[in-house]
Amino acid sequence: MAEKKKKTKNNLVDQSVYDSYKDAIPEDQIWTFQVEGLQKPLIRKSPDNAPTLKVAITVVLAIAVFISIYFSFYILHNDPFKYTTLENGKTELTRFSNPGEIYELRIDYLVTDVISESYIEKNDAGESVRHIRYSLKTDESTPIEEIHEYAFNCDERIRRLEIGANVTSIDDKAFYSCYALQEIRVDKENPNYRDIDGVLYSKDGTRLICYPIDHDAYLREKYGYEEQYWPTENWKKTGEDKYNEYYTKAYEEQINTYVVPSTVKEIGPLAMNYAELFTIYLPEGLEKLDTMAIFRNWHLERVDTYTGDYKGETQAAEKFIPDPAKVKASLPDSLTYIGSDCFNSAIEMDYIYIPANVTFIGHHAFWGAARKENDGLIGLYEIHAALDETSFKAQVDEGDQWTGQYDNGLLPKNVPVLYGEARAK
Amino acid sequence: MADGKMQKVKNFFNDVSEHWSTPAEGRYVPYREYKDIFIAVGSNYAGSKMLEYLYFGAGCFLMMYHYRLPYLTFAIIGLINMPLNYLWSMIGWYINDNLGFLEKKKERALYAFYFSMIVLGLVLILAPVSLLFDQNGAFVTFMNGLEGVNCASAFKIFGTHILWNGWAGSRNIFWRKKLLPKFGRYKYYLYCDFFPKCVMVCLLGWLPLTQADIPDVVERVWKANLAFAVYSIFAFGNSLEACAQNISPNTHERVLVRTYPIKLSHLAHSILALVLPVIIGKLPNKWEDINLFRWVIPIAFCSFAFLTMIFAGRIKERIPQPPLEKKVTIGFWDGMFGVMRNKYKWIQTVVGLLDSLGNGMLAFTTILYLYTFRLSGLLYSLIVALVSFAGTPPDFFTPYFMKRFSYKQIMIFYQFSRALGNGIIVASLLLFRNKVVLCGSICVIVLILMEMCKTVPTSVGHDMDIRINDYQMYLSGERLESFSGVFGWFTGPITSFVGLIIPLLLLEHGFNSNWDVLYVDASRLYIIIIPILIDTLGYLLMSIPYFFWDYDDDKQNKVMAVLRRREEVTSKQEESGVKLNG
Repeated sequence: MAEKKKKTKNNLVDQSVYDSYKDAIPEDQIWTFQVEGLQKPLIRKSPDNAPTLKVAITVVLAIAVFISIYFSFYILHNDPFKYTTLENGKTELTRFSNPGEIYELRIDYLVTDVISESYIEKNDAGESVRHIRYSLKTDESTPIEEIHEYAFNCDERIRRLEIGANVTSIDDKAFYSCYALQEIRVDKENPNYRDIDGVLYSKDGTRLICYPIDHDAYLREKYGYEEQYWPTENWKKTGEDKYNEYYTKAYEEQINTYVVPSTVKEIGPLAMNYAELFTIYLPEGLEKLDTMAIFRNWHLERVDTYTGDYKGETQAAEKFIPDPAKVKASLPDSLTYIGSDCFNSAIEMDYIYIPANVTFIGHHAFWGAARKENDGLIGLYEIHAALDETSFKAQVDEGDQWTGQYDNGLLPKNVPVLYGEARAK
Repeated sequence: MADGKMQKVKNFFNDVSEHWSTPAEGRYVPYREYKDIFIAVGSNYAGSKMLEYLYFGAGCFLMMYHYRLPYLTFAIIGLINMPLNYLWSMIGWYINDNLGFLEKKKERALYAFYFSMIVLGLVLILAPVSLLFDQNGAFVTFMNGLEGVNCASAFKIFGTHILWNGWAGSRNIFWRKKLLPKFGRYKYYLYCDFFPKCVMVCLLGWLPLTQADIPDVVERVWKANLAFAVYSIFAFGNSLEACAQNISPNTHERVLVRTYPIKLSHLAHSILALVLPVIIGKLPNKWEDINLFRWVIPIAFCSFAFLTMIFAGRIKERIPQPPLEKKVTIGFWDGMFGVMRNKYKWIQTVVGLLDSLGNGMLAFTTILYLYTFRLSGLLYSLIVALVSFAGTPPDFFTPYFMKRFSYKQIMIFYQFSRALGNGIIVASLLLFRNKVVLCGSICVIVLILMEMCKTVPTSVGHDMDIRINDYQMYLSGERLESFSGVFGWFTGPITSFVGLIIPLLLLEHGFNSNWDVLYVDASRLYIIIIPILIDTLGYLLMSIPYFFWDYDDDKQNKVMAVLRRREEVTSKQEESGVKLNG
């Protein structure tokens, strides 16, 4: 025990080790002295087989680097179209990687070759700009029947997609974060899908699948607006008129308003995420707002419900806006399901009403939709519910933190739910 | 009993007072320097930690929310730059391990080379070099098929790399030679990089590189790459801590310095880690707010950088070494062979290689706190502080653990504890996927336990690194820290390839340039679990090399004795004008 203690102490006191050890190191051997159990110092001397080693190291490294770079680039390089043959024999478009300037794409048959051709065009400033034009060769014996999740993930160039007649399954996340996507067109012969003026629906019109993120750009072109306009700045705070010379009521209704057709029972996951919408009219009869259905609609001011028959428009010159007499504030009474993060970041909204039939509210459904600013609370800082608290708790399957929070001093405060409320006019 | 304790306290204060300016016998560091270390390392550490918010990678909030660069693009840029890195590092090691003191002829040749690289880099960036190739040919088509890059931008990225290395290389020779004799090898660069670094940190948030400024992702990528290349030319690493860790030839004193002033100096960062999220929580868009990069980070960084510069000069470097003028000159191949003879560097290399299995994974805690828990403000600060503080108390027992257990035992335990912790986290994510609060709570508890288990091995790891360098100095007459990069040559081709596994798997589950995909429950689950499982495998495998670690205290002390003997003899020879052998 005593010996162990002594050993430990000795190990820590360098001076004593040094004093006892230094005489063992002669002055003329300071660069060659070998500590027992360790290798011998070799200072400014190469190993005996240095020339061979040098060659071996150089060759091995060169080969290793070449192989690594070759295979890394090989797996990183994206063919523009990646397909998978599924177990059921169907061909699925797994991933599309825009090779540069593909802005419009038809998904119907397997693409066998992408031919690019560069050309020079003068831009508005009169400068010559090089562009690439692509043409696709397809194999018409292999129809594309499914589109995989995230197939077009984060593509920033595609503006128009055409879905062919053979595509029978499209994943809800297929067009996730396609910021430039303006319209999705579906072949009339397609058995499962259709489009209503560039918005993707199920064939029977009961499910809204994808409202393209940049659909407002398509609408501006359709209604003859050259630029994107905005309401008067801070009109809510200053009390000024929201509309101005450019941003008129007509502009708002045509570009930033969407009326969901009355056939729709469900708005699918991520269906209207990032949309540049100020008002959404939901039909009475809608049952489900799925996960992240209206996620991050930063400018969304109102979600209202209308009653009546509206099948959706195709090329009508006049935009359909429901009769105010048939419109009520907030969500439809028929609604039963509000998915997680459904209204995430709807900070411009100021009223929400949970109707009596709702049985499920996903976690963080209203997250980031309320905020404290210098002059008070903004957004959905109160949530109104039709049911009284007891009935609500008994009936609704509530996800964690579904009401959202806002800053309150150092700690956040949960947005309160006002139970047993009547719907606002 | 109480009297005994009082006496000990009294003795301690007497000791501090007596050795405030002059160290005790056998010691090298006076207590006043402990105070300086506390402030200088604290500021340097906190400042360098601020820079963790600003880097060219997918985990940086500026990239995530404002630049919106595709995840795979970072790997592609790494590959474009990879071959020439071998050339730069070769030259760099030669310069660094000779501390910038080169023969005149070689120095002039290197300057000429670096300046020509600067010119070449600028040409590649400014001229439309890609037009020299057939625009419809295989090469251009191939390059256009890379994520976030096309042929034209690839040349600009390549040019940026060449420009950066030319610029950094010439600066390296110039400033090393000028500043190293005065400020030592660890902290000299703070004196030339402090001001430009502050300017670049202030600029990054204001540069028009966001998605709104440049809608085209390819253009955004190369311009952001260029901006960050300029930013990273100027260093502000945690160099004072490295300096303080080597502050004494006495290994016991090193442990004391590392355990007390250095560890306590991290308090500044702990306070910052508590306050910063509260400030961020007050910004309208929280972590996504651009003002974080325009005001919060620049102000905090510049303040700490300023403090660092005030106290940096008061920390001394005391590595036992021959006088600078009598330094052993290291040839390139001598340096290479020197480090390759070091068995313990090979052990560390294999560990690093296995660790690369986790390369490319996202910070699990960031996802957990921001996307699962949706934390911000004080709550975020408190949980982050709680988890990171969990590692502090065990650190005070580090000397005990280092005495009681061998380094081998500690490091093997560490790898197993990480694997076990990760296993529990994966299980809770799978079993309680719909119960955000329950699942998150289990994860946080496990993180706390893992943090507690990490502290001692981290200190041991630092000490192992220092000992390996001491051993290298014994073997080769120099620490050859830069030449150690040769191991990166061998592992680089493997790690760069292995490091693609996770990004490619994550891409399959939707993780690209939009981090909002982490709000999609199913995708988030995969994005978290896949990398953790791969990482866990890495931890289990990483325990194996440590079974070969046999460098104990006794060997270390004898090595230090040899080094001190060399210093003593060479100094004596220097005084008597005898030429140095070796």
